Amino acid sequence: MEKFKQNPIVRKIGFNRVVLIGVLIAMYIVFCVAIPGFVGLARILDTLNYVYFLGFLSLGVTFVIATGGIDFSIGPVMFCCALIAGYCLNMHGVPIGASILISILVGLAFGLFNGYLVAYWSVPPFIVSMASMNIGKGIGAVFTKTQSVSWPMQGAPGGSFRSIVAVNGFPTGIIIFLAAAFVCGIVLYNTKAGRYILCLGSNREAVRLSGVNTKKWEMLAYVICGLLVGVAAVFFVAAYTTVQPGYGDQYNNEAIAGCVMGGTSMVGGLASILGTVIGVVTISLLQEGILALGLGKDIQLIVTGIIVIVAVYADVSARRKKN
Amino acid sequence: MGDVILTMKGIDKSFPGVHALDHVDLEVRRGEVHALMGENGAGKSTLMKVLTGIYKKDSGTITYEGREVEFQNTREAQDAGVVIVHQELNMVGDLTVAQNIFIGREPKKGIRIDDKKMIEDSKALFDELHIDINPREKMNELTVGKQQMCEIAKAISHHAKLIIFDEPSAALTEKEIADLFNIIRDLRKKNLGIVYISHRMDEIKVITDRVTVMRDGCYVGTLVTKDCTKEDIINMMVGRVIYEEPKTHSMVPKDAPVVLKVENLNAGRMVQDVSFELRKGEILGFSGLMGAGRTETARAIFGADPKQSGKISIMGKDGQLHEVTINSPQDAVKAGIGYLSEDRKRYGIVVEKSITENSTLASMEDFCNGPFINKVKEKKAAEKYIKELATKTPSADQLVVNLSGGNQQKVVIAKWLVRNSDILIFDEPTRGIDVGAKNEIYKLMNKLVSEGKSIIMISSEMTEILRMSDRIVIMCEGRKTGELMIEEATQERIMDKATRNID
Repeated sequence: MEKFKQNPIVRKIGFNRVVLIGVLIAMYIVFCVAIPGFVGLARILDTLNYVYFLGFLSLGVTFVIATGGIDFSIGPVMFCCALIAGYCLNMHGVPIGASILISILVGLAFGLFNGYLVAYWSVPPFIVSMASMNIGKGIGAVFTKTQSVSWPMQGAPGGSFRSIVAVNGFPTGIIIFLAAAFVCGIVLYNTKAGRYILCLGSNREAVRLSGVNTKKWEMLAYVICGLLVGVAAVFFVAAYTTVQPGYGDQYNNEAIAGCVMGGTSMVGGLASILGTVIGVVTISLLQEGILALGLGKDIQLIVTGIIVIVAVYADVSARRKKN
Repeated sequence: MGDVILTMKGIDKSFPGVHALDHVDLEVRRGEVHALMGENGAGKSTLMKVLTGIYKKDSGTITYEGREVEFQNTREAQDAGVVIVHQELNMVGDLTVAQNIFIGREPKKGIRIDDKKMIEDSKALFDELHIDINPREKMNELTVGKQQMCEIAKAISHHAKLIIFDEPSAALTEKEIADLFNIIRDLRKKNLGIVYISHRMDEIKVITDRVTVMRDGCYVGTLVTKDCTKEDIINMMVGRVIYEEPKTHSMVPKDAPVVLKVENLNAGRMVQDVSFELRKGEILGFSGLMGAGRTETARAIFGADPKQSGKISIMGKDGQLHEVTINSPQDAVKAGIGYLSEDRKRYGIVVEKSITENSTLASMEDFCNGPFINKVKEKKAAEKYIKELATKTPSADQLVVNLSGGNQQKVVIAKWLVRNSDILIFDEPTRGIDVGAKNEIYKLMNKLVSEGKSIIMISSEMTEILRMSDRIVIMCEGRKTGELMIEEATQERIMDKATRNID
């Protein structure tokens, strides 16, 4: 075991990531054996649809968690983005490209709002994001007059945007998602912004006393998150077409679970983009599997809740051991 | 002196990278005041923490009242009658004196707290100790000295049989110390065992019966106080360790230019009207009692805390003083000031990050092309200073959490050297650092000033102040109360000024 841990490739990826990949593969095999008809491309494509939007949410919240903060608004805000942009598209005849931009801008606005309150007004992230979760739900409902909004189908005018998810059965989304993850990795590990975000998550006061404008960089993490939530909204409707006001809470937990399972620490300072990607795929497969087993949404909620607790507990106890 | 109440034998304790206690012995009798002496980092506090269950010993035996014991936590120790009065006070400022004394064991009347009884009991306790404090007062409205008295009263109320005073006098005025000694004499009469930890040689002669000396985590010896001289004790404390020669005169030329001028700085209660100048190549010592406002002054200059008024001027590239506006650490760092905090772990280093990441934290711009970090360049810089400061580490990628205190301090110093800050504020630079590493830090500071940097050194250790400073500023209760050239400075003269405002 020790020898395996010291293997250079394992060390590069990180031991717990390797374990997670093992879990992922094992889970897939179990589902294939246990559920008739689970084997095959269709299920994989279904799972990938889930991976895209959840992945963008999870990548976003990784930046926030890296600062030691949290964002519980991402799921409902994603719906808010999709509702507002979709409403503009359907009711005001805004072109599809501009609608996508609107979705991203709405996400960005929420990111700016959250980040400003957390960084400059020192309102606890938990409170800020709980509040903006409700604000997001409210705005989405008011804007659409509590109607659900459907985005155009493939073939309909404007439906070509669905190519971001798949073209003729080829999952183009996976390429876009991995590219985005790669860029996030570069930002987090190879830029000044990422360095400051990680360091201030670890010891804010020491970073401030090194002459760094910690408020600015902390806010940036929330802005990045908001931006990615706006993108997630587009991927959500590209895969599932319709959004309803007042929903989206469950994706908070799922996105945070993916992030923490991948080795990003809830205490801040440590974050793994690769881990988030693997974590998100695991969570998505799990949701798909639970549905295929016919267990339904409630069981999904229970399982995700338990995963969050277990993953955070594992992180906390690993840290305690280290100190 | 009565029979033996406590025997600690062969106590051994290691932390990662530090052998904190190396088979230490201690014996305390009833009715004696037993001094525990040694330099900072000698292991006195660690030994007491092992006794009271805060740390677990690696080996050795503790015999208390005739039975072998191993307290699991301070609560257990307390219940057995072993109580520690810490140098940092553990009081809740917003509660009253009585509430603090009975915290966690409030007298009850049904399910309600019996406030009346609590106050009466506190009064009785204070009367017994001849302390004049109103139990209804809020804790944070008392002076540090009075708070200390409350801490002692609280200890007594636990039916203590063995009381440990961990540097109780560090923050007290002469008058308060006299009161404290009266209480201690009282306790001695009541046949309690008392362990008294202090640096101050004079106090030891006045109040203690026996002295146990520790050095670098080792037991050196135990003496009867009245049979030994100050010099005996100092020799035991310092041992063969060779320090840098104490400074007898300043090496800074009289006409050295002023690099930092602070005028009438005000920042809250702890910084009132402070003015001073720092010259190029100088180590300016800041001396004073705990709570004199030295750290607050440094933090106000550095922009870490807000200030109300005052003018700060710094020498520019043209050799002239220019007034600068410092509202945040960002401004201060830009102006060329670096600050090494007294609390490294909280304010100095990012422990979960590597030496490289810590070294370049204050100067990221120099290691970036646009938004991107040049990792090769930053590692080279980190390695350069690992070599230059002789930081003990396998590589620059090592996480700072794995380094010893002395080496962590070097990483903080490296951070400011990478930034090329000309004015360095060292706040208690050798606190919690073992003796060997301490020497290295001293050498390093001397090297830095010889290269033209200027240093403000805040230190509570008199020996350190007298050894390192070219000039000494003395503060008391938020005001500057004196300034001495090293040639005219003595321990007595500094102490005189450090307690000037009081009484």
